[in-house]
Amino acid sequence: MQENKRGGIKRRDFLKIIGVVGTTAAVTGGCSSEPVEQIIPYVIPPEDIVPGIPKWYASTCLECPAGCGIVVKNREGRAIKIEGNPKNPVNSGSLCARGQAALQGLYNPDRIRSPLVKDSSGRFKPLDWDSAEKTLLEKLQSLRERGKGDRIVFISGNVSGTLERLIKEWLGAIGGGRHVVYETFAYEPLKQGNKIAFGMDKIPTYHVEKARFVLSFGADFLETWLSPVEYAKKFSLMHSYREKSMGKFVQIEPRLSLTGANADEWIAIKPGTEAFLALGIAHVIASEGWHSSGISKEEEDMLVALLSRFSPDRVSSITDVPSSTIKRLAEEFVKLGPSIAIGVGAANTSTIATQTVVAINILNYLVGNTKEIVNFGESLTISKASSFKDIVSLVDSMSKGEVELLFVHNTNPVFTLPEALGFKEALKNVPFVVSFSSFMDETTELASLILPDCTTLEKWGDYVPREGIYGLIQPAMEPVPLFNTKPIGDVILSLSKQLSGLEGLFPQQSFFEYLRDSWKAIHAEVAPNKDFETFWSESLQNGGVFREVASPEVRLSRDILRVDFSEPSFNGDGSLYLMVYPSSRYYDGRGANKPWLQELPDPITTGVWDSWVELHPDTAQKLGVKEGDFLLVESPYGKVEVQAFLYKGIRPDTVAIPIGLGHESYGRYAEKIGVNPIKVLPVAYDDLSGGLAWLSTRVKISKTGRWARFVKTQQTTSQAGRGIAQAVGLEEIRRGLVKREEHHEPDMYKPHDHKHRWGMSIDLSKCVGCGACVTACYAENNVAFVGKEQVARGRHMSWIRIERFFEEESGFEARFIPMLCQHCDNAPCEPVCPVYATYHNYEGLNVMVYNRCVGTRYCSNNCTYKVRRFNWFTYKWPEPLNWQLNPDVTVRTKGVMEKCTFCSQRIIYAKDRAKDEGRFPRDGEITPACAQTCPTKAIVFGDLKDPESEVSRLSKDERGYHVLEEINTKPSITYLKKVKWDRV
Amino acid sequence: MSQETTITYSKVNEDIIKMLDKPTVKWWALFVFDLAVLGIGLLCFLYQVYTGLGVAGYSHPVFWAVYITNFVFWVGIAHSGTLISAILFLFRAKFRMSIYRIAEAMTVFAVLTAGLFPIIHLGRPWNFYWLIPYPNQRELWVNFRSPLIWDVFAVSTYLTISSVFFFVGMIPDIAAIRDRVKEVPRKIIYTILSLGWKGSNWEWMHYTRAYLYLAAFATPLVISVHSVVSWDFAMANTPGWHTTIFAPYFVAGAIFSGLAMVITLVVPIRRIFHLEKYITISNFEAMAKMIILTSLIVSYAYGVEFFMAWYSGNPYEWEQFKYRATGDYAFFYWLMVFCNSLVPILLWFKKIRTNIKALFIISLFINIGMWFERFNIIVISLSHEFMPSTWNLYKVSLVELGITAGSFAWFFMFFLLFIKTLPAVSIAELKEILPAPVKEAKTK
Repeated sequence: MQENKRGGIKRRDFLKIIGVVGTTAAVTGGCSSEPVEQIIPYVIPPEDIVPGIPKWYASTCLECPAGCGIVVKNREGRAIKIEGNPKNPVNSGSLCARGQAALQGLYNPDRIRSPLVKDSSGRFKPLDWDSAEKTLLEKLQSLRERGKGDRIVFISGNVSGTLERLIKEWLGAIGGGRHVVYETFAYEPLKQGNKIAFGMDKIPTYHVEKARFVLSFGADFLETWLSPVEYAKKFSLMHSYREKSMGKFVQIEPRLSLTGANADEWIAIKPGTEAFLALGIAHVIASEGWHSSGISKEEEDMLVALLSRFSPDRVSSITDVPSSTIKRLAEEFVKLGPSIAIGVGAANTSTIATQTVVAINILNYLVGNTKEIVNFGESLTISKASSFKDIVSLVDSMSKGEVELLFVHNTNPVFTLPEALGFKEALKNVPFVVSFSSFMDETTELASLILPDCTTLEKWGDYVPREGIYGLIQPAMEPVPLFNTKPIGDVILSLSKQLSGLEGLFPQQSFFEYLRDSWKAIHAEVAPNKDFETFWSESLQNGGVFREVASPEVRLSRDILRVDFSEPSFNGDGSLYLMVYPSSRYYDGRGANKPWLQELPDPITTGVWDSWVELHPDTAQKLGVKEGDFLLVESPYGKVEVQAFLYKGIRPDTVAIPIGLGHESYGRYAEKIGVNPIKVLPVAYDDLSGGLAWLSTRVKISKTGRWARFVKTQQTTSQAGRGIAQAVGLEEIRRGLVKREEHHEPDMYKPHDHKHRWGMSIDLSKCVGCGACVTACYAENNVAFVGKEQVARGRHMSWIRIERFFEEESGFEARFIPMLCQHCDNAPCEPVCPVYATYHNYEGLNVMVYNRCVGTRYCSNNCTYKVRRFNWFTYKWPEPLNWQLNPDVTVRTKGVMEKCTFCSQRIIYAKDRAKDEGRFPRDGEITPACAQTCPTKAIVFGDLKDPESEVSRLSKDERGYHVLEEINTKPSITYLKKVKWDRV
Repeated sequence: MSQETTITYSKVNEDIIKMLDKPTVKWWALFVFDLAVLGIGLLCFLYQVYTGLGVAGYSHPVFWAVYITNFVFWVGIAHSGTLISAILFLFRAKFRMSIYRIAEAMTVFAVLTAGLFPIIHLGRPWNFYWLIPYPNQRELWVNFRSPLIWDVFAVSTYLTISSVFFFVGMIPDIAAIRDRVKEVPRKIIYTILSLGWKGSNWEWMHYTRAYLYLAAFATPLVISVHSVVSWDFAMANTPGWHTTIFAPYFVAGAIFSGLAMVITLVVPIRRIFHLEKYITISNFEAMAKMIILTSLIVSYAYGVEFFMAWYSGNPYEWEQFKYRATGDYAFFYWLMVFCNSLVPILLWFKKIRTNIKALFIISLFINIGMWFERFNIIVISLSHEFMPSTWNLYKVSLVELGITAGSFAWFFMFFLLFIKTLPAVSIAELKEILPAPVKEAKTK
């Protein structure tokens, strides 16, 4: 790869006070071939910016509909790091990998640089904003004059909040056009199932943390389901070992997802038949009389009547789950309570998904926890999204020419809809398509006019992910000057002011004003006694207004009796069920243009930068397939060619392909990489809700004869008996049989004498393997991304990695362990460096001096844990990705070794600030990037020499151990063993 | 070890110095080809420095591979030369007389070649001098605890002593050439190099004493230098490296491979320059016997390593050895065993060890086997260490092959120049075993 260049000095506009960008880049390493860059001090420093002191702006993440609160770190006018907002109850300070990677969307080199209009030859021509708006105005004007104002459709993702209001008002004023909210995963079955069962056409929030037993019917709540960071936290509270007990989690799905890999038991159910299992369990509960006393006699009769047909034996034959298991699950569901059943993930949405939700609701209702644990008051705003059926009718309208103007914002239907639906073809019948996208994705390629929106980090707005959470979005920096973009709200206001008849519609001059006016209503409701300006400032500082919403009582409706519980239908004449599942890294494909996400290894396969199809080794053996073989996966609707990955965590009659890759355009990091399995899906519905039935196809697979090495970061799945990720049984630890093993090897030298020693504790019963820590580390420490070819040689630069092992016995029980520099007290890497480029500092850290390293690489050979990474090339961050670089951390050139530093820059920052106050940093004041973002708070950092610190206490825990302790490296990271429910 | 009585002192001078005649077309052709290969190697190296070490085939965690293999290979080869010229001198082994000069030259050039690799394999080679402890304004010293620094001392000591020993040993011979040569530039050069040697009794007395002391200095280096180089590996905690057998194992292996390389060099030189009278079958047989001995030591070491890996109960060590014999690189492991342990068995048969052609071929096999021995130790151990999640495969790259070829060309360039400028067989010492040009002298 090529030279590394930090952003040079940009043209400075001294008339603009804020938004001036400077770099503090200096030359690194004397004799390297870097160009000398001059630093020029501010002549007139901008207000608000003190060089070296970061400013944090609270905002909301919109990388998925979960809407976690974030705080964005701004240094010298540039946003460089995103972290979770501790005040927001959705994510409580944590953030997933996708949220961390939003910066690579902001600074993506392939962002659209100006408004574009398609000329007659079909190519895009840049033009200025005034001309662009004029072009659109002509069309709008013409539509209004012809009275066809209702032929406008605005299709967007879930934009709930002020922007939604603006769009609705605007469309209404123009002539009554429609706003279609299209989310790839809209969870229609959840809504409909709740409507049928409880009369609540909503998706609630499940307070999993209050449960002690979670039965999940295919909900991938640690990856993409509803609000993954929130559920990860809740799950951790429920499931992690604490004071001799832990909750139990059973996952029911045909393919073991990451979420399932963290379960205590996996039920490999026949695809689409989850409803029957739920009813079977409910049947057992009802017939044994274990149901809650809160149920009325009427409800009891209704349920008994309904459930009578679902005896365990009948259910067993439908679902492939043994009757004994059904009975046992029923018993556990009752005895290990409070319990909760949740479902259905996008990947598991069959043609009877709504029935599944109804069955799940019945199950929950039976044990009487619906009020406690299921909170319909905190309903998700995605409940109001359009269903797939609505999209189908939209496509129908478009094909018939009923849509004359289509606006597209924050959604990519050409990519995320099955080709069989024909959205792309229908789009051709729309005379004028306007896209607000920041990226040239598949849908935007087909637009007639592009008015590039600013990204979330550059504009004002708000987002309501669920009732009670009003998240504010404020710009963390001025829009990146390279991209001539304008916030969509301002565009709409500007357009309306220029439309004859609509000039007076919106008195506000900017979307900022409109937002404030809109919030006056919230102010009136929430804090009428405060003056608005104070309320507004406080809200901005907090990132919004967050209120608890009480859980309303719900009663079971008689509508459940009219539900037809028949088996799911599948089309296609192949023999294998096809599961396409949302990716924890790409979501529905929107993350594919961010190299951090491409290089974050998939938690199950550790594959990077490409797609794969998972199949069971037995299936593979029958076909003579080995890993890396390119297979042709064919359905009646399409086909894809993709590499095989053998996985025991999937039924032999099922194959699975992740969603997210296979873009035809979307920038250099996404184009022509991987395959899009949505292509082969049919237009099939979940019967009762009109949602897309993702799991409704059977496919044929055949070998193509091509083979290429499947690129993954980890070649083995076995720990080879080395006890790297250790676990204990729950009974064992309850009985106090688990003791902290101490190894006392004789030492030749005196131990280090530290006043403070930085250390960590990582709780394996909390780590779910999501990889948020990996991406956070990339962001914080200027870690380079290297691309697929280099990862094939194991040259990825991740300072922290999630190692994933499968248990030998079953082959699918997974153990995850984050592995990073252990900062060993007896570090094997230190004595062997010939030039003292790595040594032990006075606070117990193993430090790396980049300037001194000559690159003999002996330190890495001697590292027991292999956590050191070498810069094989001087890696490049194409402009403006280099704007994201953290100025507190050296950017390394080729030839030097690097590794985790426990975020030394954060330690130094905290020590400096504490020193000003005449003290040492307190426990909890310093958090490395990985620990800060972890949704389950598995990583704890602190001073091991401080007897009061959390990490000190945890390092003495009975579950504590050091990896490869007998090698006597004396690591400063204590891992806490995972606790497993004993096998039944 | 009998020499024909028909060889006179003057014939010796003539025959040896004739080697220094104007180079033939064949020599030039070989030399140009050699420079071309060297050029390729240099280009590869420059490309590597410019682009980054990533152009080599390293994968995480195999961070040392072909370059360090080459380093150890060449340092190993050097030891045999010193063994033949210094240690066998102290033992007064007569069979060394005719070949020791070539062996000594091989030593010096091998060390020069080996010395390239610690620089080539660095991530930032322009800073290589930071490994040398020189006083500097920042008061930075090297890390004396690091085996790589011990290497710096060992190899530079070895280079110094070997070069001095080599040069001092040649002074009388250079004087002999000086006396024969008439053309001006050459005569002046040889005059300077001969340091005014007149061949007087006084000079000979002090010379032989000095030579003896230098030989004594050089002797311990044969054991110590390669022990130090082996500690690059033995001092690390890597399974497969961290074992006490490495020092004697490597020293024996060094001598083993060096002897093979001596044979590889001597056979063609003997043939081309018609030195059959001086370098006889018995010289070769003696070396073949030493090869058998060292091959047995090396084979024993293979066995002991394997046994100790199992007997120790150390799971990492045992797993490593199982992997070596049966894992992804098993072919290279068994190639090594074949070349180093099985092929030399042929030398037990007198017919084979007195057959020059057979010896030459066997020596090539041994060189290949010894190169792969170092490769196996380095690459296989690093591929399969403590953490299973990091197990990965190494694949050699064209750049590494280019630089390796270039290093061989570098070595042979020196050798080609050496044959044409300095006496490849020791004139003075040869005369010691010939009858003196005195009446009624008897052969010793």
